[in-house]
Amino acid sequence: MYGIFMESLVIFKLYTGLKLLLILTALSWIYLLLKEKDKRVRILLVYAPILILALFFFPVSRKAFVAAGLDGETYYRILWTIPMGVITAYGACRIFAAHKRIGLVVTSALVILCGSYVYKSEYISKAENLYHIPDTVIKICDKITPENPNATVSAVMPPELIHFVRQYDAGIRMPYGREMLVARWDYYNAVYEAMEKPEVVDMETLLEATRADYCRYIVMAEGKKTDMSPEDAGLVLIETIDGYRIYEDPVTTQVMEQWLEYYENEEE
Amino acid sequence: MIVVKIVCLILGLIVIPLCMGMLFFPLVGKNFRTPGAALIAGYIFMFTLLELIGIPVVLLAVYNGFTLFVNLFTPCILLTAAAGVILALYRKKQSGAYIYEMSRAAIRPDNTRKQISLEGKIVFGLFLILLGFQLYMAFTQASFDGDDAYYGAHAVAAQQLDTLYRVNPYTGRSAPLDVRHGLALFPIWEAYLGRMSGVHATIVSHTIVPLLLIPLTYILYYQIGKILLKKRKDLLPMFMVVIALWQIFGNISIYTPETFFLTRTWQGKSFAGSFVIPAVIWIFLCLFASDEEQEALDSFAILNEPEERKTGFWLLLACLNFAGGASSSLAVLLSCLMSVGFGVLFAVRKKRFGILVKAGFSCTAGAIYVLLYLCLTHGIIRL
Repeated sequence: MYGIFMESLVIFKLYTGLKLLLILTALSWIYLLLKEKDKRVRILLVYAPILILALFFFPVSRKAFVAAGLDGETYYRILWTIPMGVITAYGACRIFAAHKRIGLVVTSALVILCGSYVYKSEYISKAENLYHIPDTVIKICDKITPENPNATVSAVMPPELIHFVRQYDAGIRMPYGREMLVARWDYYNAVYEAMEKPEVVDMETLLEATRADYCRYIVMAEGKKTDMSPEDAGLVLIETIDGYRIYEDPVTTQVMEQWLEYYENEEE
Repeated sequence: MIVVKIVCLILGLIVIPLCMGMLFFPLVGKNFRTPGAALIAGYIFMFTLLELIGIPVVLLAVYNGFTLFVNLFTPCILLTAAAGVILALYRKKQSGAYIYEMSRAAIRPDNTRKQISLEGKIVFGLFLILLGFQLYMAFTQASFDGDDAYYGAHAVAAQQLDTLYRVNPYTGRSAPLDVRHGLALFPIWEAYLGRMSGVHATIVSHTIVPLLLIPLTYILYYQIGKILLKKRKDLLPMFMVVIALWQIFGNISIYTPETFFLTRTWQGKSFAGSFVIPAVIWIFLCLFASDEEQEALDSFAILNEPEERKTGFWLLLACLNFAGGASSSLAVLLSCLMSVGFGVLFAVRKKRFGILVKAGFSCTAGAIYVLLYLCLTHGIIRL
């Protein structure tokens, strides 16, 4: 039980980042605890947050959370039910009720200084298009999408593009996706093992895996090292787009076309 | 063509939910008949219908599930919206005149004749600048999140492959129904908007939806602020500025609802943190408004006239406790826990057991959702 409590404490620390913004909320909360007379506001903004915190740190809660089939990694979301922003803003309005201008300036300055600017994240960049995915992905997908609407296509993609492909075109399949990039999920995929694990790709092993998975295209960054030229291994370079080489495997292409012809004849 | 798409999106994102929300007007007091309250209520009703219609379709339709969903969902929301409009027009002939009340409330949000001071207007203008900045950033900046490879791909698969949660979003291969996420239909709503407007689901989720959800969240905070500061409306602009700054600078970790709100606005879990949970607080503030008024405390004591109708808020809470499931299964659990928890606290405070009973009843649909989720995830129900 003590161990679970400590885990919850770590989650709490991670959630708050131990930043000063938490202090602002605490100050507002203390002010409301002492001064707020409206029982309804006391219940929702003073008593409830304490009960939620108690529930959060109570080890049985975490056990019940996981036992209910919920993802233990999302346990921190219980803390979402404490409206920190509302407590702080309302508390500030009350504290500075008689000095609105000073209150606005002081509170705004404190929030800015104690907080962390959301748009400074390394994951935020200028949008290249309305899809908010890289233009490169769109160009590559447009290149490999078959003209025949009944045809399906499978392509091996570099890790940095893998998240976006199926957000643009659900018709493009991949032998592996994001699940292989999250190390803690610990999945196995033969194509991934051949393509991403070794520093120098063994083309024979890669083609054995991609053909078993019926991958028609292999997209490689120009700097990707291979033990032999992909062309010498039997692949055909279709185009190079923004530093990514798109190779087509004629063997898989032939198999896929035969299948398509068979299914179209069946439908007729 | 672009104009038609924009009109369709405005209809789906603003007009239809607003009309649906007017259905809630006869059940609440005059002070709550505002465009903001109608829009919030409309979204709660719309997501209730989304879950009510979508869950059976997801569970039972293996092929062409999305088309079936569209064919069922569209007439339902149109009929509900039409009912809202008819009700408003009908009431116009009576004394209530909802449209008049709503338009007056839009001009004077506090439903009073009191003039807003120049200082208040300037501070509120500052809030609008902060809101505009957030909308500009949402439109022009791309925020990468790994979960999009899952949720975004499901929305695109629904739109392009006509299937609901039966394709592995990472690889595109056929897969058994994903019961852990299959009850949360937020991505399917985005795909639906895409289908009805002819816009790609990823554009809808990454670019269009934030332009609505960010203001919607502030409308909700505005309603909360309006109640908290009922007797000090002059502080409301300051409240909104602080809330807006709190969202922009609330990125103290990757886990806060503020971080989710502005970097993953289009994901259901973000909607849970920034809309569903604050909406529970707003509803409870509204529910117990008039009682406090009678107790006449200090200059901050609150709210609407005694004897105002409350049935609408209990109904809205019941819908919210189910509709939250569209955003995430956890949202249902959290909103139900909040409802019961607040219910206990208010029941003890007011010494009225009936409050707890009503709070319990408001969780009925949510409890059924949670039960279904448990049965599916624990293999008790197999599909």
